[in-house]
Amino acid sequence: MADTTIKKELWERIPQDNKDAEVISRPSMTYWQDAWRRLKRNKISMLGLAFIVFMVLFALVGPTLAGHDYSTQDLTLSNIPPRFEIYQIDADTFVYVHSEYKLIDVLEDGTLIGRIKEVQNNLNDKNRVYDIDGNEVFLDYKYAAIKDSSEADAGIKFKLFVNGTEVQPYKTVWNKGHLFGTDNMGRDVLARVMYGARISLSIALIATLVNFFIGVLYGGISGYIGGRIGNTMMRIVDIITAIPLMLYVILLTVIIGTGFKSIVIALGSVYWVNMARIVRGQVLSLKEQEFVLAAKTLGAKTSRIMLRHLIPNVMGPIIVSMTMMIPSAIFTEAFLSFIGLGVNPPMASWGTLANDALSGIRTYPYQLFFPSLAISLTMLAFNFFSDGLQNALDPKMRK
Amino acid sequence: MEQRTESPKEVLLEVKNLKKYFYSKSGFIKSNVQAIKAVDDVSFTIYKGETFGLVGESGCGKSTTGRTIIRLYDVTDGDVIFDGANLSQMTQSQIRPYRKRIQMIFQDPYASLNARMTVGDIIGESLDIHHLAKGKERQEIIWNLLERVGLSKEHANRYPHEFSGGQRQRIGIARSLAVNPDFIICDEPISALDVSIQAQVVNMLQDLQKEMGLTYLFIAHDLSMVKHISDRIGVMYLGKLVEVASSDELYDNPKHPYTQALLSAIPIPDPDVAKNSHRIVLEGDVPSPMNPPSGCRFRTRCRYAMDICSKVEPVLVEIEPGHFSACHLNKNSEGVSFQETVQND
Ligand SMILES: Nc1ncnc2c1ncn2[C@@H]1O[C@H](COP(=O)(O)OP(=O)(O)O)[C@@H](O)[C@H]1O
Ligand code: SF4
Ligand SMILES: [Mg+2]
Repeated sequence: MADTTIKKELWERIPQDNKDAEVISRPSMTYWQDAWRRLKRNKISMLGLAFIVFMVLFALVGPTLAGHDYSTQDLTLSNIPPRFEIYQIDADTFVYVHSEYKLIDVLEDGTLIGRIKEVQNNLNDKNRVYDIDGNEVFLDYKYAAIKDSSEADAGIKFKLFVNGTEVQPYKTVWNKGHLFGTDNMGRDVLARVMYGARISLSIALIATLVNFFIGVLYGGISGYIGGRIGNTMMRIVDIITAIPLMLYVILLTVIIGTGFKSIVIALGSVYWVNMARIVRGQVLSLKEQEFVLAAKTLGAKTSRIMLRHLIPNVMGPIIVSMTMMIPSAIFTEAFLSFIGLGVNPPMASWGTLANDALSGIRTYPYQLFFPSLAISLTMLAFNFFSDGLQNALDPKMRK
Repeated sequence: MEQRTESPKEVLLEVKNLKKYFYSKSGFIKSNVQAIKAVDDVSFTIYKGETFGLVGESGCGKSTTGRTIIRLYDVTDGDVIFDGANLSQMTQSQIRPYRKRIQMIFQDPYASLNARMTVGDIIGESLDIHHLAKGKERQEIIWNLLERVGLSKEHANRYPHEFSGGQRQRIGIARSLAVNPDFIICDEPISALDVSIQAQVVNMLQDLQKEMGLTYLFIAHDLSMVKHISDRIGVMYLGKLVEVASSDELYDNPKHPYTQALLSAIPIPDPDVAKNSHRIVLEGDVPSPMNPPSGCRFRTRCRYAMDICSKVEPVLVEIEPGHFSACHLNKNSEGVSFQETVQND
């Protein structure tokens, strides 16, 4: 109690410049820096971004590193899976029994060397005879054709004999030369998935950019003009949306044929309507805001108000909707290619790869697995990323 | 006030029978157009160097009046004569030179600054638009303006969200000053601010007025601060001016029941005076400008409403030199209503 006496000095005025209430302590941060800071905290979203970056690198530099050309065929090495069993013939000779019951010379580490020429090919008895470094190798594949035998029940389709004794698989190895295996023409699946990434991602990117420019301009003008003209513009958008995408693609393929160009045109001509709607909605509400009125009182022309005031303020929703548009463009492209309305061979996109693999899905499921995985992971990554971006750019979340 | 009345006053802005209707459409096929008479036949004059206050409850058309004068909105009818030139019928390109002379300060310090521009670019925008200055010179002007409104030049590279409401309003003021205007419409520049900041901003506006010879149209929704800053005051109700007088006259001798009600709503700091004064409580809301009451628009809330009020619309008449009012109650020295003398002409 003794110390609570209030001294007279305490009542003195604080000098004006000691009041630091009006001083800004927080470091200067632009909207984008702020958004980036928030995005970085979202782990899943950053994972998505990392995968997108990886996919882009995969598409850009991958094909040169793959060591295989996407279109070079080697029919002797077709349909070889990424992982297979090898049999030992002698100390350093190994073979792989191809699914067409042919022997392929491999190294112990799984590097493919080439088809071994048979000495005898008994098509009627379903067996082949080889002479490998003086060893007589007998491949008997009649079990594949016999329906009810103990071998067929055990899933055995062939037996391999070296100098008369049956050999068991030596070990299972990874396909060293073709990590994702080869397709039915002996082309490297990894190289084709990489090349497909190029085509799929560029179609998505071009379609998205076209959408961006048309959608932002159209929606921006429609929102800014408003009134009857703006409404009419949006009714046109409604009509475009009402016609299914498939119809455009089919009509376009009739006119300019199937291929890269018609997919881009089809996607570009349809997807922008969502963008236009979003931008229009935003512009409609922003144009009544006082900062736009202020620009008008300063004498700003319409183009300046659009480019400097309205569009920068709609950029958040625009970017979010673009990142959401990319996965759906990737998927639509894949889908169109899958049903045969896509790019033409030897060009390959993920969709055509999946389509090509479909016929051999039971025997060679890996051929469908890799392009599908690429499609799914990329779409997932973009969705994660755009989700985080939306939170990061949402001004209501600003603290 | 007195000195001003003696010296010949030069008119800067004359608003004559200004009307601004908004049309709201409902129904797509059979459209049903309704007029919102936001400003309905308003006339007043603003003299060079003075501050003209415009008060009224919110929604009565003050902002619309200001925005129509500066031609953010097209004029439905009437004239806006600024320094001899009629702005009301000009095209946007004809009006561009006047954008350098008439400026506006907005109400909402958050909505009135573009969040994606730096403070420097916000203030310098008019310099870019009118090609007034570039590079180093532009920067000097911006720094100068920042210091003039009590901020510092380091603030030029920052973004609006880093500032407080009062600081933002200062930025808005600096922006309007960049073109070196003659006339500034201040649309409730302080009503969104803390009371402690309000006085600072008002004092700054007054200092700027003195230094730069500015003329203000000062819009507010309550009379308390307006009296302090204005030379003359116009009171608006539902799109109409109901009373115009010098600010002292309006305070000491309000003639219109609406003005009286607004005045009685001002808190009185002296308890002795407050005890003896009775507050007139305004009941209800402002009616919709889409279909205003017939006759006197204030009659639905007026304590003195009479039969005639619903039939004859009172017009604004000069009941004393420089004092205008629009009410059937106002009578001349012979006890005849001014409305009769005017409307029988
Ligand atoms: N752009 C507009 N479109 C339609 N009605 C409007 C518009 N701006 C204002 N109004 C209407 O006009 C009336 C006057 O508004 P305003 O001038 O903003 O009032 P104040 O500034 O006095 O609060 C209000 O009823 C408002 O709803
Ligand atoms: S005219 Fe009648 S209703 Fe209107 S303010 Fe005067 S007394 Fe009231
Ligand atoms: Mg207002």
